[in-house]
Amino acid sequence: MNLIASILPLANIVIDLDVGSKKRVFEHVGELIEGRGHVGRQAVFESLFAREKLGSTGLGEGIAIPHGRIKGLREAIGAFIKLKEPIDFDAPDSKPVSMLFVLLVPEQATDLHLQILGELAQLFSDKTTRERLLNGSDAAQLHQLLTGQHAAN
Amino acid sequence: MKIIILGAGQVGSSVAERLVSEANDITVVDIDGAKLKHLQDHLDLRTVQGNASYPSVLKAAGAEDADMLLAVTQVDEINMVACKLAATLFNIPTKIARIRAGDYFSYPQIFAAENFAVDFTISPEQVLTDYIGKLIEFPEALQVLDFAAGKVRLVAVRAYHGGPLVGHELQNLRKNMPQVDTRVAAIFRRDRPIIPEGQTVIEAGDEIFFIAARDNSRSVMRELRRLDKPVKRVMIAGGGNIGTRLAKALEGQYEVKLIDHNKKNSERLAQELDNTLVLIGDATDEELLIAENVEDMDVFCALTNDDETNIMSALLAKRKGARKVIALINRSSYVDLVQSGQIDIAISPAQATIGSLLTHVRRGDIAVVHSLRRGAAEALEMIAHGDRKTSKVVGRRIEEIDLPKGTTIGAVVRKEEVLIAHHDTTIESNDHVILFVVDKRMVAKVEKLFQVGLGFF
Repeated sequence: MNLIASILPLANIVIDLDVGSKKRVFEHVGELIEGRGHVGRQAVFESLFAREKLGSTGLGEGIAIPHGRIKGLREAIGAFIKLKEPIDFDAPDSKPVSMLFVLLVPEQATDLHLQILGELAQLFSDKTTRERLLNGSDAAQLHQLLTGQHAAN
Repeated sequence: MKIIILGAGQVGSSVAERLVSEANDITVVDIDGAKLKHLQDHLDLRTVQGNASYPSVLKAAGAEDADMLLAVTQVDEINMVACKLAATLFNIPTKIARIRAGDYFSYPQIFAAENFAVDFTISPEQVLTDYIGKLIEFPEALQVLDFAAGKVRLVAVRAYHGGPLVGHELQNLRKNMPQVDTRVAAIFRRDRPIIPEGQTVIEAGDEIFFIAARDNSRSVMRELRRLDKPVKRVMIAGGGNIGTRLAKALEGQYEVKLIDHNKKNSERLAQELDNTLVLIGDATDEELLIAENVEDMDVFCALTNDDETNIMSALLAKRKGARKVIALINRSSYVDLVQSGQIDIAISPAQATIGSLLTHVRRGDIAVVHSLRRGAAEALEMIAHGDRKTSKVVGRRIEEIDLPKGTTIGAVVRKEEVLIAHHDTTIESNDHVILFVVDKRMVAKVEKLFQVGLGFF
């Protein structure tokens, strides 16, 4: 099982999120994570914003990987979000972002987390994968594209 | 970034102008439609007319999507309430309030998240008071700016005939005082920047910006020009917010006279100030100035809220023999007119205080921003994060760093230690790096340089 599969439950795939700003996306992520009983929404929101201030996590080509360390989080958790309308993200290529993979890790970040980040960057660097993700509209199908395996639910 | 600015007064409009030019998405809110119209005609921004502390107005301004709120109306209470609403109703991550009344600062807990939820306060009046206070402490300087909580100073001086270094190469500075480490960050000659090098010959009239540890700044000044005699007597025209603060700050160490035209206000000031002689009268009244021995004044500060009065009274004071005259001038065209004329130092309040706002708006971990030379140049204190892999500065010698054109690193502060920058100084994570940027268009590149890469957690 690849690393992405280990942190991305099917329920953390959100399709057609209708928000107009980075702030609203991060709020939504906070609610999603809180709803799954991990940590409070405000901690998630603040961590993502603070990291973004130090440098954009936009990869270019409409993709971003916002990430942050969260106090009290026991293990890394991911969420994949496709937006209905792209938003401004201050990406290096100045293109608006329409797909985000959010990665939250415990306060003590380790090599494992860097490896996850590396795997994500690798995945999104592939043009075909990007196009499939962009065109996909079914959570299970997206999950499979991201993890390379069938969702176990 | 999506930013809402409350208040289209001087602070609000000057920061709006600056931020629009830095590619932000700006909405300005004010109760006065005429002020908004003026802004909208000149700048690419959105405006909303209404009471800045009403939830409906904040919502109309886009509070649900905003990254930042700058509450800079003239009323402290509106600013504080707006921050509270921005937190409670709209969850805006960064909230900044302009606070004038010193009283609030005596109880800093009121700004905490569970109270008024003000993340940062700015106080233009205090910034200006400190600015002028420094010029009185260092009468030979054009500007004195603090970095790293006062551990490092950036000083601007004009080189005069008779200064030990005038007509010599910059490298002599080091030979003349081997025990004092300093770095000349920039030289402006007839308003044009020159990048200082060891062989650069200092000319009379050059405006020199140097960086040194606090305790060394005076010795370096002495090398660049002879020192003036210390200030003893100060006359202040205008007993408003700034004039009063300045008098309060100075009256312990200097003989201070303050002129205010309003009788009631003067009586109140006389009560409030312990050691200041408060005079009722017109700051442009020649006879009053003469009667109060303006010719014996070391510094005359014209700080009323009227540009023309400040210019006229400063000119008059200079003519009547005041040694150095300083005038607050709001209109930038006036600043350009009088600068380097009879008035020794013309201060634009908007320029002097915008840095305290830019500090929070800029991307990156920024401790201090000072806007210099009427906004053309900038000095910044940036905190480096990451490691050799995730940062473009950490783990590198200064000579290895790809600095934008016209940018110099002047000093590095590592915990308590001040390191004056040399080509082989290596930047570490959490270092405070003090940079001078001669052309503000390069600031965005400096910000990028200090941003961490994707791999930073």
